[in-house]
Amino acid sequence: MGTARDKGDVLQGTLDMLVLKALQLEPMHGWGITERLEAWSGSVLVLGQGTLYPALYRLERQGLIESEWRTTANNRRARYYALTTAGRRHFTEELAQWRRMSRAINLVLDASLA
Amino acid sequence: MESISELVRRLRTLGRSTDMERRMGDEVRFHLEQQTEKNIRAGMAPDEARRAALLRFGGVESVKESVRDEYRHALVEDFWRDLRYGTRVLTRAPGFALVSILTLAMGIGAATAVFSLVEGVLLRPLPFPEPDRIVRLFQLDATGRRMNVSEPNFDDWKARTHGFVSMAETALSASVPVSGGREPIVTSGAAVSREFFDVMGVTPAVGRGFLPEEQRVGAAPVAIISHRFWTARLGGAPLEGQPLRINDELHQVVGVMPEGFAYPTGADFWTPREVAPPQRSRTAHNFQVVARLADDVPLATANGELSAVSRAMKGEHGDATWMADAAAVPLQEQLTANARPTLVALFGAAVLLLVIACLNVSNLQLARIATRRRELALRMAIGAGRGRILRQMLAEAALLSAAATVVGAGLAAAGVRAIVAAQPGSVPRLDSVGVNGTVLAFACGVAALTALALGLATVLRTSQHELRASLAGGPRTMTGDRGRERVRQGLVVAQVAITIVLLTGASLLARSFVRLLGVDPGYRTSDAVVLDLVSPFSRDAAARSRVASFQQELLARLAVLPGVESVGLVNDFPLGGGRYTNGQFLEMTRVDEFKSYEDVGRIGDQAKARAGQAGYRVASAGYFAAMGIPLLRGRLFDDGDGPDAPHVAVISESLAKAKWPDQDPLGRFVQFGNMDGTLRGIRIVGVVADVRELTPEAVPGPLLYLDYRQRPSTQVSVVLASSTPAAVAQTARQAVQQLDPSMPIRIRSIDDALELTLSGRRFSLLLVALFGAAALTLATLGIYGLVSYLVTERTREIGVRMALGAERGDIIRLVAGQGVVLAAAGVVAGLGASLGLTRLVQGLLFGVTATDPVAFAGVAIVTLVVVLAACCGPALRAVRVSPVRALVSE
Repeated sequence: MGTARDKGDVLQGTLDMLVLKALQLEPMHGWGITERLEAWSGSVLVLGQGTLYPALYRLERQGLIESEWRTTANNRRARYYALTTAGRRHFTEELAQWRRMSRAINLVLDASLA
Repeated sequence: MESISELVRRLRTLGRSTDMERRMGDEVRFHLEQQTEKNIRAGMAPDEARRAALLRFGGVESVKESVRDEYRHALVEDFWRDLRYGTRVLTRAPGFALVSILTLAMGIGAATAVFSLVEGVLLRPLPFPEPDRIVRLFQLDATGRRMNVSEPNFDDWKARTHGFVSMAETALSASVPVSGGREPIVTSGAAVSREFFDVMGVTPAVGRGFLPEEQRVGAAPVAIISHRFWTARLGGAPLEGQPLRINDELHQVVGVMPEGFAYPTGADFWTPREVAPPQRSRTAHNFQVVARLADDVPLATANGELSAVSRAMKGEHGDATWMADAAAVPLQEQLTANARPTLVALFGAAVLLLVIACLNVSNLQLARIATRRRELALRMAIGAGRGRILRQMLAEAALLSAAATVVGAGLAAAGVRAIVAAQPGSVPRLDSVGVNGTVLAFACGVAALTALALGLATVLRTSQHELRASLAGGPRTMTGDRGRERVRQGLVVAQVAITIVLLTGASLLARSFVRLLGVDPGYRTSDAVVLDLVSPFSRDAAARSRVASFQQELLARLAVLPGVESVGLVNDFPLGGGRYTNGQFLEMTRVDEFKSYEDVGRIGDQAKARAGQAGYRVASAGYFAAMGIPLLRGRLFDDGDGPDAPHVAVISESLAKAKWPDQDPLGRFVQFGNMDGTLRGIRIVGVVADVRELTPEAVPGPLLYLDYRQRPSTQVSVVLASSTPAAVAQTARQAVQQLDPSMPIRIRSIDDALELTLSGRRFSLLLVALFGAAALTLATLGIYGLVSYLVTERTREIGVRMALGAERGDIIRLVAGQGVVLAAAGVVAGLGASLGLTRLVQGLLFGVTATDPVAFAGVAIVTLVVVLAACCGPALRAVRVSPVRALVSE
């Protein structure tokens, strides 16, 4: 179990943040989240769709999202995920952190070598 | 109510992963369907669309496994975090933790100790292969009483039933002198018929079973011995050339049974039944019958067949079978039948004590919640859900009950050792009792239930609303406190009620015991020494009369010892050590009416009218004086009743009343060949008072005493009445040894013998009383705690009242009144419950009814007084409250 998790950890923080972002507007089911991420990234971000689910369970356990069964527009039963208050706050913090980090990294990468 | 269903839901999803599996399956299916449909809309063929969807998803199983990993990891992680946190919480409140652990340990320890008795004695299967297939078969008389079986009846059962794969009869001799190996001893052995070892499913571990040629009349005597006898007496030596002298006959030992095999209970050796001639009397009930049910034959079927066959036999032979019906009873049930009511009652008492301990700890928990509200509210505010808090409470409760289980198991182990040591043989199979795996599993189960109950009780009383309010830091919310107070009051009432049930049970047992001590058993119970002597049994008339001569000589020598007031002997001493055989006799028209069994058969239909039932006792004239049994009519044995004189008997009053109501029994003749094989007529010469045999609670049975010189008995107890029993015991032992150095002797005082018959009862009384006292202590502590708490809570109110001029008496009434009201409610509920529950111990009572008003009233009064005393402390503290201090305290 150890090594599998270690490998996933590299992506974990990022994927978690993307999921929280996808849920910011409205509650969605798993497939909807993958569709939205794909659309937003201009189809650049094409992850194995299955990897989403462990992340959803993890976020739910951490109390960042909650879920319930609902009926879709065309009358199908699906599990909908929604941000909790804690999740919303967490996302804001994470986003700020990410912005700081990426700005710093960009600065470093863009620095002219002259 | 809402919170309960919430809890139930949380609990359901907490430990079970099947819900998660279903949810995961549904989600993945939905996802794949959506993707497939999208692919189809993009122009793919359905099959291709599905394949592409799967490809995009990645391996379904590996995804599911990662989800499961998350789930498992979460459970373990949470569990450890909760435990660590719980440990910190508890170490910060060591007083609470210690009191809770000790209280629970007491309850768990008591329940575990008693359960180990229940497990070892009642539940554990007998140590035979497929033990549930082994049954005891009984003849039933017209009243349904279970009786031993006569040999012709056994033979008919064996030939005519098909529900049993094997069937055997056994005849246990409880006191047989055996020499060989070390010094001669007296032990038990059984004559067993051909299929005995097949029924038990056990064969000798060393050597062999009996051969067919060893199982017929006149065969050379052989024996199989117990493992215990082999190791203790023969030093585990090879069997060849080590004959045992059993009852004066040399037996070749051919086999040793495996360790622990001891059926019939206590048997040290087994001999073939068939070496003695068959018994032809259907009314001589001399055998115990065991059988093994045939495969696939249910007990009920076998029982039905046995019953039908037995009733048919009654039809053929009439009342001569002395059998109205028959019954097969599982061997285990039969062996433990006597111990069952006591053990079940004790177990019930222990469980009640455990419940009280749990109630007490819940009460403590609730009191403590008040001080923990801020902490819990804080945790909820930072995002811990109800489930998290519940898990936390469960973890704390689990820690408490785990610690309590460790302490309780230790207490139980010590308790069981003490119980086994204190219990002198009145409970079967006790030697194998101990705290073993099954018992520990039980203790852990109890602990888990305890933890669950405690945790739930705590969380149920901690409403979210209340916690939010207390985080706001405002004054204590009255609604929450009121609710919790009500629960605490409920807990106290329940504690008092259960205490009442336990105390009522204890006091009924105590009153039974006192009644029992007050019963006149019909003989002396102090100032006497009893010598149990066993001479080798023999069928040979000359050998038997030699035994009688020895006994006569011994009585003569003992009579003149200094300090001996009177001396006599009897075959079955009333306080244990005999065989207490009981059988059917026939009244005769004249002393020489019957010369053979054919003559007996000839009286035909008259048999029933002439028959009577009596215990077969053999005594000397001095026995009645030595035991203080008065002669009511006629005479006792005298010098004229020698071996060659006409045979005479003295009967007990109850026999006279039962057989010859309104008639004179003196001068009548009876024969008692069923018991000693002698058809010779016996003239009744006297009537003596009744005695209660074996225990003072026994109904005095009809007895027929024969003169020991005329019908010698090889197994006798000699009674020496003396005001200096200890000194007489010494000189009497020397007198026996002078006369026959090889005679094994057991000497006991009559006080010890009486004590032994009461010890089982004394023991269960002690245990129930102990549980009752512990329960009363816990309940009192519960009330004391609650009233103290109320006083603290109401300090301000009390101050105001006193400032406004309330008298001290008013305050005391106000405070103590609440405790007393609760106690009274508990007492009423407890008495109500007792009315129903004490019926369950009816079988253990003597001389009192299960609803004895004295016991009920006494318990109610004692409990109320104790509780009142407990309320006084806090009440007195309340009146010392200074109004000024009380008013500024908030």
